[in-house]
Amino acid sequence: MKIAAFLPELLRHLFKKPATVDYPFKKLEVPKDFRGTPYLNTEMCIVCRACERDCPAEAIEIASVNEAEKRFRMVIHNDRCVHCAQCVDSCPTTPKAMHMDRLFEIADDDRHKMKKDWIYVRAVLKPKAAAPAPQAAGPTA
Amino acid sequence: MSFQVPIGPQHPALKEPISLRMTVEGEVITDVDIRLGYNHRGLEKLAEEKNWIQNIYLVERICGICSHSHATCYVQGVEKLMELAPPRRGLYIRYLVSELERIHSHLLWLGVAGHEAGFDSFFMYTWRDREIVMDLLEMISGNRVHYAINTLGGVRRDLDEGQKAKILEGMVTLRKRSEYYFHIGANEPSFVGRIAGVGLLPKDKVVALCAVGPTARASGWARDVRKEDPYAVYGELDFEVATADTCDVLGRVVVRVKELLESYKLCEQMVRNLPAGDIAVKAPRKVKPGEVVSRYEAPRGENIHYIKANGTDKPERLKVRAPTLANYPATVEMLRKGFIADIPLIFAAIDPCICCAERAVTLVKAGSGEESVVRMSDLRRQAIARHQNAPVKRNAVWPL
Repeated sequence: MKIAAFLPELLRHLFKKPATVDYPFKKLEVPKDFRGTPYLNTEMCIVCRACERDCPAEAIEIASVNEAEKRFRMVIHNDRCVHCAQCVDSCPTTPKAMHMDRLFEIADDDRHKMKKDWIYVRAVLKPKAAAPAPQAAGPTA
Repeated sequence: MSFQVPIGPQHPALKEPISLRMTVEGEVITDVDIRLGYNHRGLEKLAEEKNWIQNIYLVERICGICSHSHATCYVQGVEKLMELAPPRRGLYIRYLVSELERIHSHLLWLGVAGHEAGFDSFFMYTWRDREIVMDLLEMISGNRVHYAINTLGGVRRDLDEGQKAKILEGMVTLRKRSEYYFHIGANEPSFVGRIAGVGLLPKDKVVALCAVGPTARASGWARDVRKEDPYAVYGELDFEVATADTCDVLGRVVVRVKELLESYKLCEQMVRNLPAGDIAVKAPRKVKPGEVVSRYEAPRGENIHYIKANGTDKPERLKVRAPTLANYPATVEMLRKGFIADIPLIFAAIDPCICCAERAVTLVKAGSGEESVVRMSDLRRQAIARHQNAPVKRNAVWPL
């Protein structure tokens, strides 16, 4: 037992730099796998609705705008989004139609302003088996 | 002459809402009554309406500190139902995150214990060191609190060489710091004097009241799911169950510091022996009918999830037994014969997580103290009767 065993540690900290950063002026880098806000690459979306089905917060909504033109509207309710990135994992296309950005200052004073929508024509992707280039290259080589 | 002192549901000494009613004679507590239900969110019912994938993120939000514990407990249960075998690399990463979470939870608790004992510099230093492990978790999973690294059949993020090196580096720093805390705990007379002999819980009471986790281990009852029912990778790792036999808050501090050191060892083993290969296998949408009980050693003790499947893509029943709930009867025993001034310290010593433990609604009549557990249909009828003639609240429309 000795009195004030913590004292040397306390004194050492008088000469240390602060452990925090001055946030609004200096920002820390977010990690590589950071899950920010989801967004859609409309050129790749085949409207399979896998993201809508798996979203735990029911933040994704896909509705048909024009049946004949195959035009759809996707709304992402960022006020409900829990930023789990399951929509990106569920997206079946390569490259993926759903992406996460790296923004973290996404607060707003009105939840209605946080909606984001895209109106787009459904993408028609060629199935992998029908892709001609690699098969044609095979026999000639 | 005895008085009743109510503490909570909102009280500066408690971080979460719970109501404790102490019957006191002078300074000494003679009886305690714990009332739950101020933080009930209906998560189990909600889980029945979401599919297997969505529920991972739902159970993760049961708690903010042991988020990975609940998600892992749920996922390993569902994987058992689906008869999935996740790849070994996926399992190693999953349980690496769970050990890192144990480290951050115990460091957080050490700070809280220091704070409750009036040793605030200890609180600040442990929380500063906790940032090291929080940064590691952020680096591995992408986010700080809800890691969302589990998926059915494995994990969602892989580890690269740079990350492995950073984890090992962080473990070296943390081990040095924890050994220093162990030294402080053994040598700082004011801190030891405050926590020794407070909140006594003898071993026979631990067994009788089914205490779990560090609370039980501090009374010499070496129970740890990782050791006695080794799930996933724990069977092939080398670690010891930390115990203490002082049966008081001092013992709980010692157990947690020892567990920190064991966790550093486990993390290093898992990073060094990380197998190559895939991190996840594809999971089916639907589950065959069946039921499973999944056990997991969370930082606070044994976490149990009961899952019942009925052949659809949604669970029929999900029951969560969080470790804090198992520790409440023991807390009553610890508080008895204690002093009023020790309440926050003793209560904090079980590392209570109120939001984990809230699973039922009980109504108490304020006047007579009469209690009744009500059925959902009765609650509904009461609510309809109450709101039938009430005027419509302005601006209270769900606007989406």
